[in-house]
Parts: sequence; C-alpha cells; structure tokens
Amino acid sequence: MRQWHRILFPKNYLDRRKRAGFLFVLPALVFFGSVFLLPLAQSVLYSFYRIQPGGAREFVGLGRYEKVLTDSTFWSAVGNTVQLLLLSVPVTVVFALAVALGLNRISNLKWRNVWASMYFLPFATSLVAAALIWQWIYEPVYGFLNYALSFVGIPPQKWLQSLAQVLPSIAAVSVWVRIGFDTMIFLAALQAIPQEYYEAADIDGANAWQRLRYITLPMLNAQIIMVVILELIFNFKAFDQVYATTQGGPAGASQTIIMLLYDTAFKFFRFGDASVMAVFVFVALMVVTLVQWRLFRKPIEY
Amino acid sequence: MTLRPFNLRLVIIVAVACGAIVVFFPFFWMAVTSLKTAPEIQRVPLQIAPDNWLNFANYVEVFKRESFFRYLLNSALVASVAAISSVVVSSLAGFGFAKYRFPGRDFFFLAIVGILMVPFQSVVVPLYVWMNEFGLLDTYAGIVAPDLVSVFGVFLMRQSIEMIPNDYIDAARIDGASELKIFFAVILPAVKPAIATLLIIKFMWSWNEFFWPMVVTSSPQMKVVTLGLMSFTNMYYIEYNLLTAAAVLSILPILVIFVVLQRWVVQAVVMSGLKG
Repeated sequence: MRQWHRILFPKNYLDRRKRAGFLFVLPALVFFGSVFLLPLAQSVLYSFYRIQPGGAREFVGLGRYEKVLTDSTFWSAVGNTVQLLLLSVPVTVVFALAVALGLNRISNLKWRNVWASMYFLPFATSLVAAALIWQWIYEPVYGFLNYALSFVGIPPQKWLQSLAQVLPSIAAVSVWVRIGFDTMIFLAALQAIPQEYYEAADIDGANAWQRLRYITLPMLNAQIIMVVILELIFNFKAFDQVYATTQGGPAGASQTIIMLLYDTAFKFFRFGDASVMAVFVFVALMVVTLVQWRLFRKPIEY
Repeated sequence: MTLRPFNLRLVIIVAVACGAIVVFFPFFWMAVTSLKTAPEIQRVPLQIAPDNWLNFANYVEVFKRESFFRYLLNSALVASVAAISSVVVSSLAGFGFAKYRFPGRDFFFLAIVGILMVPFQSVVVPLYVWMNEFGLLDTYAGIVAPDLVSVFGVFLMRQSIEMIPNDYIDAARIDGASELKIFFAVILPAVKPAIATLLIIKFMWSWNEFFWPMVVTSSPQMKVVTLGLMSFTNMYYIEYNLLTAAAVLSILPILVIFVVLQRWVVQAVVMSGLKG
C-alpha cells in the first residue's frame, strides 16, 4: 500500500517514472476491467439470482445451475458443440499443416505467394458471409455441391437440412474459414527451422518421413499446441455460422451452446439461465485450455 | 531413383494448387452467382457461367431493397473507430508494460492476456444490461464499446516496443523530454509497422463482427454490413442471386485491403502465433 501511495504521489524522479508507466497502462486496465472482468463477475453473480421483471432480485443459490444442468436441451447443445469440435479441429490442423508443408516446398517465391494468398483469403471473410456462400453451395436442388457429386454418381444430399449431415456441413465451413490462419502460423514456423538440421539429417541418411517425424514436427510442437487450443476455442464459440444458416435446426440438430445462450438471453430474456451457461462456457474453456497447456507444453530437448 | 525427387516436387505443387483452387472456389461461385438472374440460378442442369458477364442488376437491386450503402458506412465507421482506438490504447499500454517498472506490472499483463480465454459470450448479458442502463442500446457508441481495445493489440505493441533500445529513450530523457513526449517522438515512430499491422487486423475483425452488433442494435439504420447481409436470408425462401451480390459487397472492401496489405496481416498472425 505504501508503495502505491509513493507512486501515485511521487516525491522523487524514480517514483515519477513508475507513475508514468502505470498511467500509460491505466486506460487499457480500466477498459478491460470494465468490459471483461466486471461483467464476468456479474455473470457469475446473476447465475445465483432470480431477477424479477421489475428488477427485484432473489437469491436462489445453486438452484439455477440445477435447473440448467439437468436440462436435456442444454446437454444436447453441449453434445452438438463437442461433435462440431471433433469434426473440425483435427481436420483443420492436419490440413493446414499439410498445406504449410507443401507451400514450404515450393521454391518459386512468386507462385508460393499466389497459392498462399488463396488459402488465406477466407480468413478475411466474415463468418456470416462465409456461411451464407456455403449455404448456397449446399443448396439441395440448385446447389453446386450436389451438381458436382452427380458426376461421380452420388445422389443429391440435403446437407444443412439433414439431421445427420448438418454438423459435418457446418464443420466444413469452419475448416474453410480457419485454414488460412493456421497455415500462416505453420508456414512462418517452418521457415524459422534452421536448414542445418535437415542437412545433418541428410548426412545421416534420413528419408522424407523421418525428417518430418523427427525434425519438422518436434520443431512445430509449440505452434501445433497453440493452434489446437485456438481452434478449440474458436469452434467452442461457434455461433455466427450456425445462426446465419440453420439457426440450430433441423430439429435442434445443430444447436450449439452459444446458440442456446443467445436464444435464452435475447429471445426468451431469461438472463439468469443464460448466465449459468456463460459461466459454464467460461469454465469449460479455461479447463480445456489449461489441461492442454499442462499436458503438452513440455520443453523439447535434443 | 534420380527421377523420384522431381516427381515428388511435382506432386506437391499439383496438390497445393488443387487445394488452393478448391479453397478459392466459393469466392468464384459467389461472384458468378451474383451476375445471374433468378431464373438462371434455377436452371437444371446447372450452368456455371452467367449468360451476361456484365449483368449488375442484382447489385442495383441490393441497394434498392436495403439501405446497404448505409450498412457499409456504419461498418466502416465502427471498424475505423475500433481500429484507431485500439492502436492508441494498445501502444500506450505496450509502452508502459515494455519499458517501465511498477508494482503489479507482470500481474496486470498476465491478467490482460488471460482475457483471451474469456469468451465474449460469457460477458454479453451484463454488457447488454449496462448498455441499456447507459442508454447506449442501438447507438454507434454501443456497437463499438466492447471493441475499443484488443488484447492482441496490447500484446503486439508490447512485443514491438520491447525491441526498441533503451538508449534511445535515455537519450531523450537526458535531453529533457517528458515521458509523454518520449512516447510520441521516440516510441511511435519506431513501431510504425506494428501500428499498421494492428490497424489493418483490428479493422478487419471489427468489420466482420456479428454477434455483438446483433445484440445491441435494433433499428434498421444502425445495422452493420454483416447484419445487412442477413436481411437477404429467410427461413423459407432465399434469393441467392441477391444474397451473393450483397455478400460480394460486404467482403470486397476487406478483401481488397487484405490482398493489398497481406504482408502486414500475415505478420500480425505470425506475431500472435510464434510468441503464443
């Protein structure tokens, strides 16, 4: 406390400098505090209260959690979200890694940039626009996808309108949007690997697979973990692409947690229930991130 | 055996190119559809090329049916304010974090980076309630409020400012410059690339924002472009020729920025990735 008093009312040059540093940081602290930390605390608080339409509050303890967490709609939304994760995260990461490895092998810089840009473009697109373009491609009667598949003898599918295909179809949109971002990260990391490692491997007679397995992948370890975490977070929060296309349908088959949260809060105005979901999402994401971090973030030694 | 490396290289190039074409196809398909008439897109069998490559009637119709120009302006305004404000606040904070010592500095920095883990949806209900209390629902200030600063920005600016040699700062101090003067005369000019990067990427993110603008706005004239796009959809019947034209209009500004300034965007993503 005394330390802070000295800094806020500085008497000497060094304390004045410390105050300057603190003042530089202050706007950001105030902003993040008021837009993230306070509302987060309030979300937690809301989740323990029942708020009457007039504004009166009544403490209900864990009652709300019991209500939401025993609701089958909620768990089916959680299930859908997890399915979406499992469908899109591995595909995105593996595909992006493959693309980055391929791009890295193209020695003509001009062409490499051209191909790379094409992979990056979806990253600049809004999720809403991306989802709507894909909805048109998925269109059962006039869409391009069924047309293309008809050449290999596959009958028209219903894609977004089918209970079984709706989640894979939405996952494909996520993959398309995210591939560029992941590729950019992998490509930069690949280019940072010292060439000497590969030269040494060549002298030892390593083949292409061994070079990939024992040099490239270990050197990309940190980026792979980070990209997986970012993809998990991204897909866990899936909303725009679902809202723009299926709105959770057909029959709730693509209802994600955030869709449910949105409907609960802004369609039915049950802020308390929505807050329970908000707390759930926050805790789940934090646990997933921290577990990943702890499990895989080991220093690599050679 | 002598032929194999050459073949492998060729296979890789072909695979990369095919993948790129597949990834690019939806853009092509969107553009082509936006040039077709309603009967054209319902032709069976499907026809790839539009009858008239210069048929811009759908674009005219988009502006006629919705105040799409207004939406574009709204988005441009919100994204510009968000980008500029992010740069100002982030570079100040980045300077403070990188070049000063004060109690709690590292804790504050970690707390800010930790916010990356807080999904925006976890705080949206209280934010909505506050906006309501402050009378900011359905206003520009309300749309832009949560977007004024970016965690990524603070992170990026701290990384960049850290690389400026302390000698420059000390030299300015000896010349009697105030701390604020140092910020403007020494720090800002040295991190111009990072500033450009942050401006572009934040503009892009803000332009593509959907969830919060939808929550906070209600009147048609406050719609941003992502919301405007949704006006062309409908559960039962969608005029895809109009929708794709609107989508082209909503994507084009950002795509142009992205292609022209790709180097900076890539740098931003890489910064976020390599240090992550």
